Amino acid sequence: MSKKVFSAILMVALALSVAFVPAVAQDEVRWVGADDLPVSPLECPEGAPGAAMAEEPMEEPEAAALEYNGGQPVGAPDLAGQEIVLVDVPKLIGIGYFNATSLGMQQAAEELGNVKVTTDGPTQGDIVQQVAFIEQYITQGVNGILFAANDPVGISPVLRRALESGIHVVGYDANSEPDAREWFVNQAEFNGIAKAKIDSMVAEIGPEGSFAIVTSSFTAPNQSRWISEMWAYAQKCYPDLKWLETVESAEDQNLAFQQTQTLLNKYGPDMDGVFGMSSVAFPGAADAVAQAGLCSPDDAAADVAAPDEESAVAIVGLSTPNQMRPFVENGCVESVVLWNPVDLGYAAVYVMRAVVDGTLTPESTEVEAGRLGKLQVVNGSEILLGPPFVYTQDNIADFDF
Amino acid sequence: MTATTVSAARQSAPGWFKNLRMLVSGQEGALTLSLALLVIVVGTANPRFLAQQNISDILLNSSYIAVAAIGMSAVIISGNIDISVGAMIGVLATISGQLSIVPGMPVWISWLVPLIVGPMIGAVTGFLVAYLRIPAIVVSLGMMSILKGGLILATGGVWIYNMPPEYKLAQQSFLGLPVPVYFMLALTILAALWMRYSPSGRAIYAVGGNKEAALLSGISPRVVLMRVFMFNGLMVGISSVLFATQFSSIQSTVPSGLELTIITSAVVGGVSILGGTGTVIGATLATILLRAIGNGMIFINVSAYWLQAVQGTLILVTVLIDLLRRRRQAAQIRG
Amino acid sequence: MAVTERPSQLTEQSNPIVSRLRAVVLSKEGILFLIMIAAMLILSLLTDKFLTTNNLLNQLRLVTEIGLMALPMTFIIITGGIDLSVGSIFGLSAIVMGFLWQDSGWPLELAIIMCMVVGTTAGFMNGLFIVRVGVPPLIMTLATLALYRGMALGVSEARSARGFPDWFFDLGQRQFLGIPSQLWILLIAAIIAGIVLARTPFGRGIYAMGNNELGARFSGIPVRLYKLAIYTFSGFMAGLAGYIFTSRISTTRADMGTGLELDVIAAVVLGGTSINGGSGSIVGTMIGLILIQLLKNGLLLGGIKGDATIVIIGAILILAILINNLVQRRTGGD
Repeated sequence: MSKKVFSAILMVALALSVAFVPAVAQDEVRWVGADDLPVSPLECPEGAPGAAMAEEPMEEPEAAALEYNGGQPVGAPDLAGQEIVLVDVPKLIGIGYFNATSLGMQQAAEELGNVKVTTDGPTQGDIVQQVAFIEQYITQGVNGILFAANDPVGISPVLRRALESGIHVVGYDANSEPDAREWFVNQAEFNGIAKAKIDSMVAEIGPEGSFAIVTSSFTAPNQSRWISEMWAYAQKCYPDLKWLETVESAEDQNLAFQQTQTLLNKYGPDMDGVFGMSSVAFPGAADAVAQAGLCSPDDAAADVAAPDEESAVAIVGLSTPNQMRPFVENGCVESVVLWNPVDLGYAAVYVMRAVVDGTLTPESTEVEAGRLGKLQVVNGSEILLGPPFVYTQDNIADFDF
Repeated sequence: MTATTVSAARQSAPGWFKNLRMLVSGQEGALTLSLALLVIVVGTANPRFLAQQNISDILLNSSYIAVAAIGMSAVIISGNIDISVGAMIGVLATISGQLSIVPGMPVWISWLVPLIVGPMIGAVTGFLVAYLRIPAIVVSLGMMSILKGGLILATGGVWIYNMPPEYKLAQQSFLGLPVPVYFMLALTILAALWMRYSPSGRAIYAVGGNKEAALLSGISPRVVLMRVFMFNGLMVGISSVLFATQFSSIQSTVPSGLELTIITSAVVGGVSILGGTGTVIGATLATILLRAIGNGMIFINVSAYWLQAVQGTLILVTVLIDLLRRRRQAAQIRG
Repeated sequence: MAVTERPSQLTEQSNPIVSRLRAVVLSKEGILFLIMIAAMLILSLLTDKFLTTNNLLNQLRLVTEIGLMALPMTFIIITGGIDLSVGSIFGLSAIVMGFLWQDSGWPLELAIIMCMVVGTTAGFMNGLFIVRVGVPPLIMTLATLALYRGMALGVSEARSARGFPDWFFDLGQRQFLGIPSQLWILLIAAIIAGIVLARTPFGRGIYAMGNNELGARFSGIPVRLYKLAIYTFSGFMAGLAGYIFTSRISTTRADMGTGLELDVIAAVVLGGTSINGGSGSIVGTMIGLILIQLLKNGLLLGGIKGDATIVIIGAILILAILINNLVQRRTGGD
């Protein structure tokens, strides 16, 4: 009998915890991801509501002021001009984005002729597995490691070990702690991406529109940083933008599709736009909007049932051209924000070559990167690829990755 | 043992009234009640939840999982488990998508091939389990690994796009409901009838419940197990077609954690993990319930950070309600 | 491959030492050990970087967390149960530790203790529901797999804990007496677990429960207490693993350790523990654990890429069990 009582109590406790749901319900929108790292929103564009208010010029605490703060390998052999073997360990393999960076690396290796680079990594964006991979390649004894970190702090110990073993380390896409690598090829600053995304969204829904965000996961460092930068930039420049909510979708296109459908149903005409924050979430979100017949009507190419301007939902996000091509071509998506990941991989190999050859030293202010010309050194030990790139109907046909 | 007494009671309870009572008090009833409760609570808080479009979306998004959960139910009822289903869906969806973009390939071939390859993979798993007597969890763990790695080896993770419009089966609607929903309903009913009334279907319960007894009554557990895993492969094949034809592009990697969603659906649906009991109707209802929870929580503004925890709690509550119900029933029958 | 040579050299039966040896070699663990040796030999032919003390120790460092969780998992699977929530308990305890220190300002020493307390409590809750309410272990831990992970996410609001002081990394990143520090913990834990399972009444009770739970209950074994104990133990080890992991990776986030439960279970079942309960051993689990990691490592060092490695490991998992099944059946050992 006591068993019955016991289970009854348990049931009550559980029921209470369910009733407790409203207590944990979000009463206000706030974004606490991204580890409370400082944000630095960029200047507002001409005519933005916030432009006038941004009276004090933001002093930029960056660029030349910062000394080189990267690490250095211990006892690396001098291989200037000789053949080097590199391994590239991206966050995960088997997604369009890192296929593209890998392609760029192969292009650079081919041009240089004295670089061999292979890409290998975990099948899921998992820091634990990524560390294990790098560990193995240290043992195997490569000349250099290129990485895109799943976690900036988590990857650092193993990279330091690589430096200690005389292996050159260059990051791209997602950084580690500065002293755990020599250089980081920065595709675009977080605030630059954030500005490009918010500006693209405002161009479609106006400065008083409302939007929701479909991200991969709240714990994904890059995505979280972008969102907090977007938050800061939107508050500064477009204070009347309505930020509805942010939902997760793992790295799963189907989940992104489902979550977007749910948002569309929840807000109906009160939602004007959706951000797809990852190269997997974006196509999923776009599919949901397209299949709901809510693509923007002002596109000549739109073969979907055109709704009236009122109910159309804009989709803006980060993705690779191939994944978004169907939507851009039928006009459902107007712009895809992304740097060129092929160039990113390409630049990473050139930077590595320059480090090994001794042409890129802590004193350098720029580096020669083949077809990309000279790239600038910023933030002490980062190399900037350039401003983010916006793919539109007019230029998307030129890209295949 | 509670389960056998329940089913015994079910058979000895004629009359529509008793049937109705059994229906409400069965696991299907518990799930229906939970679902109704959820709909009322969330629907009151935010009426938009009840909009036809949202209901239709919940059903649509349950479909491919429910179809796979039907196969999983059969596997679990037979006393086994299959962890490789998520990887199988990824592989089969990719095969289907690749075929659809081959120029001149009739679209029905790209729909049909997963339905053939699925059972073939199932047959391999079934053979290893039934004839070589390797535990299903080991075989399917290994299979998962092989399929996952093999998929990336084969495709390099390149997404598939530009599928022909007529390929997109799951995007079609019929009488206001998306096509996958009909698949879910039809397959659930067919599978339920098969497993409940046909000798080959009953045999699955026999094998899962008591292998020796099954053997004595002339059922070959090996043949039954082979059949179960091939059936599972077929369901996964259908599921993968629904999965692949839903989008404008196919993510040719394995969706992570999909197998857990499917197993959870089957298990919450009342399919006893010890084998021998359960119905596929419960599994389908559970899939819809879980999806409705995921959807409904967003409607009532549960903090996104706590969403998973609330979902976990609700799963636990559903399971506990079922458990207490079974126990009470068993007590009533005994007393 | 090594297995086929074996029967010929062991045909003599009269000598007691030989027959004893034969029993050891032909046991599940023995066969698995031979497979491991064979794999190591082949891998060391592929590359000379593989068979070095440094590499091997480093590899073991990487699997310490999985190994720690595999110990209680062996007990649990022997009783016919399973614990799918270990990955989530691991994540939850590490996150609670990180945030007690980072956000709530607790001393780190106390936070580390809380890490184990949280793990133990989470495991205890699993056990309580399993023995008192009668929820089947798979269902219970499937539900808490989602619940505990969700709690980790909720507590941390998806932020990470980082910036630990230097001494915190002693356990995860440094060496003690020439061996990675955390390996000592695994070694000691494995020895204790092995002795408890093989040599104590508690251990015999675990086997008895797996073979016939009702029978075990009638023969006076406190079945419920034992079950509660092993699930609690599982939670504790997951908490400990969470701490060691955080010390090794130097940061933690709510999603750390997702999917780890499958690695843990793979090590246990490869080690010859029957998923239906009743048989298995700690030695087997440890060999299973090491075999998987050495394969991953050796194949990679031999120039085989990650995706192909997964395929090979999947095949070997099935093959190893198959070979063992065949040998056990032929010798009537099972």
